[in-house]
Amino acid sequence: MNKYHISFTLVMALWLSSCREILEPKPIDILADQFVLNEAKDVQTVRLGAYAAFRSTAAPKVIVGDFTADYIQHNGTFTDYQELGNKQITSANGVAGALWGAVFNTIYVCNFLIEKLPTVPGVREADRKSVTAEARYLRGMANFIGATTFGGIPKVTTTDIDANKVIAKASKEEILASALADFQAALTDLPEGNATQGRSVFAGYATKGAARAALARYYLYQKQWTEAENYATLVINSGNYELVNYIDIVAEDFNNESIFEVGYTASDDPGTSAFGLNNLLVGRREVIPSNQYISQLITRDAGERQQTVSFDFNEQGGGDNGWRVDKYGTPDEDNNNIVIFRLGEMYLIRAEARAQQGRVTGTNGALSDINVLRTRAGKNLANDQKPLLVTAASQSEALLIIERERLYELSFEGHRWYDLVRTGRAQVVMSAFSPNWTQKYELWPIPQTEIQRNPSLVGQQNPGY
Amino acid sequence: MNHSLLKYCVTVFCAMLLSVAVVAQTRTVTGKVTSANSGEPMPGVNVTLKGATTGASTDIEGNYRITIPSGKATLVFSFIGMLPQEVNITNRTTINVELVENPTQLNEVVVTGYNSTQKKDILGSITSISTSKFKDIPVAGFDQALQGQAAGVQVTQSSGTPGGGVAVRIRGNTSISASNRPLFVVDGIPVMDDAVSGRSFGGQNDNTLSFINPNDIESMQVLKDASAKAIYGSRAANGVVLITTKRGKANSRTTVTLDAQRGIVDIIKKVDLLNSSELLALQREAVVNAGQDPDRRGLIAGVTDGINTDWLDAILRRGIYQQYQVSANGGNDKTRFYLSGGFRDEEGVQLNNRFTRYSGALNLDHKASSKFTISSNLALTFTTNDRVKGDNFLDGVYSGAIKSLPYYSPYNEQGRLYAPGDANYPGFPNFNPVAQAVLPRFKTYGTKILAGVSGQYEIIKNLKLTSKVSLDYNNSEEDQYESSATAIGGFLPAVGGQGYGVYSTNTLYTLLNSNTLTYLFNIGEKHHFNTLLGAEILQTKNRSSFASGRIFPSDDFTYINSSGVQDAAGSGFAQNGLMSGFGEVRYDFEEKYLATFTARYDGSSRFGPNRRFGFFPSISLGWRLSEEEWLKSWDFLQDLKVRGSFGYTGNERIGNFTYLGTWAASTYSGATGVSPNNLNNPLLQWERTREANVGIDASFWSGRLSVIIEAYDNLTDNLLFNQPLPLTTGFGGFQGNIGSISNRGLEFTLSTVNIDRSGDGGVRWNTDLNLSHNQNKVVQLVNDQPLFRGYTANGVSATNVILPGQPLGTFWGLKFLGVDVATGDALYEDYNKDGRISPDDAQVIGTAQPKVIGGFTNRISWRNFDLSVFFQFTYGNKILNFSNTTLLDNGANLENNQVRAALRRWQKPGDITDVPRYELGNTYNNFHSSRFIEDGSYLRLKNVALGYNLPQQWLSKVKVRTARLYATGINLWTLTSYSGADPEVSTLDGSTSAQGIDFFTLPQTRNITIGLTVGF
Repeated sequence: MNKYHISFTLVMALWLSSCREILEPKPIDILADQFVLNEAKDVQTVRLGAYAAFRSTAAPKVIVGDFTADYIQHNGTFTDYQELGNKQITSANGVAGALWGAVFNTIYVCNFLIEKLPTVPGVREADRKSVTAEARYLRGMANFIGATTFGGIPKVTTTDIDANKVIAKASKEEILASALADFQAALTDLPEGNATQGRSVFAGYATKGAARAALARYYLYQKQWTEAENYATLVINSGNYELVNYIDIVAEDFNNESIFEVGYTASDDPGTSAFGLNNLLVGRREVIPSNQYISQLITRDAGERQQTVSFDFNEQGGGDNGWRVDKYGTPDEDNNNIVIFRLGEMYLIRAEARAQQGRVTGTNGALSDINVLRTRAGKNLANDQKPLLVTAASQSEALLIIERERLYELSFEGHRWYDLVRTGRAQVVMSAFSPNWTQKYELWPIPQTEIQRNPSLVGQQNPGY
Repeated sequence: MNHSLLKYCVTVFCAMLLSVAVVAQTRTVTGKVTSANSGEPMPGVNVTLKGATTGASTDIEGNYRITIPSGKATLVFSFIGMLPQEVNITNRTTINVELVENPTQLNEVVVTGYNSTQKKDILGSITSISTSKFKDIPVAGFDQALQGQAAGVQVTQSSGTPGGGVAVRIRGNTSISASNRPLFVVDGIPVMDDAVSGRSFGGQNDNTLSFINPNDIESMQVLKDASAKAIYGSRAANGVVLITTKRGKANSRTTVTLDAQRGIVDIIKKVDLLNSSELLALQREAVVNAGQDPDRRGLIAGVTDGINTDWLDAILRRGIYQQYQVSANGGNDKTRFYLSGGFRDEEGVQLNNRFTRYSGALNLDHKASSKFTISSNLALTFTTNDRVKGDNFLDGVYSGAIKSLPYYSPYNEQGRLYAPGDANYPGFPNFNPVAQAVLPRFKTYGTKILAGVSGQYEIIKNLKLTSKVSLDYNNSEEDQYESSATAIGGFLPAVGGQGYGVYSTNTLYTLLNSNTLTYLFNIGEKHHFNTLLGAEILQTKNRSSFASGRIFPSDDFTYINSSGVQDAAGSGFAQNGLMSGFGEVRYDFEEKYLATFTARYDGSSRFGPNRRFGFFPSISLGWRLSEEEWLKSWDFLQDLKVRGSFGYTGNERIGNFTYLGTWAASTYSGATGVSPNNLNNPLLQWERTREANVGIDASFWSGRLSVIIEAYDNLTDNLLFNQPLPLTTGFGGFQGNIGSISNRGLEFTLSTVNIDRSGDGGVRWNTDLNLSHNQNKVVQLVNDQPLFRGYTANGVSATNVILPGQPLGTFWGLKFLGVDVATGDALYEDYNKDGRISPDDAQVIGTAQPKVIGGFTNRISWRNFDLSVFFQFTYGNKILNFSNTTLLDNGANLENNQVRAALRRWQKPGDITDVPRYELGNTYNNFHSSRFIEDGSYLRLKNVALGYNLPQQWLSKVKVRTARLYATGINLWTLTSYSGADPEVSTLDGSTSAQGIDFFTLPQTRNITIGLTVGF
């Protein structure tokens, strides 16, 4: 009987010793909160997380910027895009939720970095400063996108979940002021960057150039023309960027014109996921360029910029006009990235700022900037096909020329709806395009689920939704 | 352990305590035991001397020999399923006995988890289903066999796909986020019950329960109340289904049984769609109504409708079903065995869809000594599942066919399948469904090993230690290739148009060690105790991997080795564990007053250190009134018992590490970093269900009529729930314990023997009826805000909602008020009275929860014939015919065929109809509304089985012991007002909050099978 006792005791001991392994297994391929950022080498991984978060704002922002406006018509079956095509956007639209979520996800990771960096031991001061600057830059960008899309949004400055789940809406002005403060702080500490070390690093991460570009756009939206002109000029004159062949804008990532773009590789390409731009524009053809847009783009003045779209006879038929947008490629192509800032936009910002200040012609006039872009757009064309340069225009004519030039230059990079709204032209242009357009569409709806989940947002929906 | 052994043990124990002297003189009695019904000798019958230790059992020929003291004595003959017989002996030395079948099976031994007891002593709510109830039905898995057989058990087959998902719900839905599936325990091993394959097939999953051959099952027990389930504590809230597989019987001759089944499989009903001309007229009208010219859209009569393809006919077929099985069992007094091998092959009704299963089982029991017994069970299964995409997939086969425009043809003039790039390719959004069925290779290879080894040692009399180690191993390998002529492999630019191959593996296995100590004892003659103490340790591990390749040289190369680009791959590992201690005390006083206490203490790796352990106790009390002297005079009353139970059970079936705040890997521009993954919740704890149950069991006229009535009131609180957060926090939600759900219900089970003249070779007719009513209600949530689930829908947030005061499975949408006679537009209720229709006007528009479900079975036997007819029904539930938002879309787009109801659309002022006018691009008329909600009640003739036992005089000539010919029909007839093809289907297989949705789901199939069983 004794041997039974011994073996029984042994079994019991073995049994109980396995308790820890059974009940407290180690997490696999995830990091518990307390281990994420507590030593110097963790800083880089969380910093990349911030860029990854910001990257997810890019595709919804392109959809908001271009699909809300007159560039597209609906051609697929998904309700979200049907609403965008028919201008019947509701607060249940998935794009609203995606952009809102991406904005606040970016803000969360940035706030996490800003809060925790001062406490992480062993981080070199220079790194601490530059990573903080990057976090503030990305947070500023997120807030800027949020305010220009939704108007007033909650101003989130901490990672305190309990506070942020009941946070009230701040005014649009307050959010923009906070974005400005972030841009300015970032400008001080961001690295100048080195264009020669490879564009995927230089344009893939925030630099002083990216901060200046953000400030240029910020002041343009704020109608502070001199500042807008100054910052655009700083970028243009930096010598870090050059106007490339327009086909490279369409078909190449990280070309020499790029100031800041969010990067994908084949393995993390959005592919067929919900907001994969290639999938929406080429694969599913959920939306296609509108007839009106095509008739405006396929003109001599657009020049090489017509390469933004292409025509496929096989697609034509029924309600499909056969045109498609080529700016976003498949994983096998070299144009999966989404450009946030590039040099072409800086010329357009400066042109508009100059025109608004009454300087239309002359070397420092708006038209000279326009002509820079038109020259580029005709670089590889025969003389009789090159876009005509503009030599004379009144101020109001110049502003319309700039508006049209933005169509040629920046279409499907997420600008159109923002431009029409900030210039006050939305009502005129969009009413002519769609009978369903009303003024309420000058702001996007706050996602319905946010109002349901956050008591402080009840009754705070944008008017008309 | 069988009941008579148990009784024997009790008797023996009493005898030991009470015997005062050993009688010196003995004598021997011999005899033969036969069956009163068949006259066949009965091996393995227990023969015991009443009030003494002596016992024996009959041999293969039914003979026994027992030594007893001289003088007056009583012998007790007992056998499972037969009425025990007591024979007084004076001086006789030969006693032959005929045993009669027990019609009520009150003495039937019922497995109650880690222990077993007699049916009459059960205090909990347990339904037993014996193999005879489903032996002729060609079900793929035992989960299907549960359908309609037990009150309180709702079984829904998600679609007509062979080897597909089956939703089993016991007493309603208890949880929102955590699993609602019951715990399935096969021979003591909790088995994996959901899909093992990793890749989505559009709302329809595969099902590992179909890896277990139902023919190897001896019986199933459904445990429904706390008293029955609490021994499984932490995982029992959704009910427990115990499955016992067949084992050999001691001292029985070896029997070999062959069984062959063959049959045909057809779809039960096709949706009535428009033909080319009808659709063209409708589309032209929609275009004209939108102020456009249909001719310019290429919708030209006589041209566009030149082709008329019935796409459903093109992708459907009649499937062939076959199953062959051989089994053998037998045993002597030391060793018993059961051995089986089976092959099953079912062609689905969709082209290229097929489920094949090879299975084998070996169960062994060996008595090493009078005190030590070892047992093993082993079941091996290999399956091959040729799958096709379905439901919500744009490139699904059935879903594509039902939507596809009849203007297109699957084949070109040369008889070649149209492929992407061809001029007449049907194109986006429905592709070429025939090519989608025929061309891809979607093979899922499944392996299941279910194995257990146990030893039982009797330390002292009636104190037994049982230790068991077991394994449930499930593996799937998916071998897939989609050629360049398919949607994914050829059409999607992101894939590259030159084929797409995937290979993935998923292995999920559970290792279990359980140790129990049972002790039977009496205090005095009247107080009987049956006690159990146990400890269990369980660990589940999951390994998975996948790789994909694209850009193949041609479709002659289909494996990833040949692909030009391999840019997506992955692998993963996960594990979780449980450690538990449990105990049970069953007590009865004179078998009249009964009580059971059960408790389990569970620790789970899924909860944080402070909330790791949960305690789940239960108590139940019963009173067998029929044992009272004052009721004994009522001869007609055989058994009457009232019982009640109260207790707690739990649920932990959520993801791993959801209590931890975690960050996961993320990528950016070719570099790797970390992104927030999960919010910390150290207080995350067990979901707990408080259960109360009362029941009456009554049996009259020797079991000719028996009735069970039960009522229960269950409340689940601390719901494991992904609590939503506003995105301003940076997160969409976190795993919390918020809210409660109540389930209240009534169950009624009636069994009658209406006519029994079987003794004279006449008719025997018996009837089983069960009815259940369950009222499910979300009592409380985080707040009163609706939580949206299901599919996104036009003009409202989603198809389903979770709202306090409403049941799970509640449908959400606008309320459709009809069609404006003047304009033909849909009229919706302006719920918030703000003068316009917006998502805020959405409201509750129905529930998928039925008011009553039930099953009704009649069995008639006459001489060598037997017939069973089984009806199954649900009443009072709604179905969301979500297919009709596409198939009756009022012209929202022109990409899809329409159902016949479209022909009664509004066309001109004054038309009174329920279908709004058609106008291209108008989404308003197609907003998600109560227009798509339909009554889902149905009565279905689920199966009819007719059997014929070949006469003995024929069989004896060919040395065959038994032979039985039978024919079975499944889903023969359905009564329903539902306009879709099948009211029983449900997409989103197994979803709780979005159940009862028909979204291009393949209807059930009608199977006609004939079979032959031969025993040697």
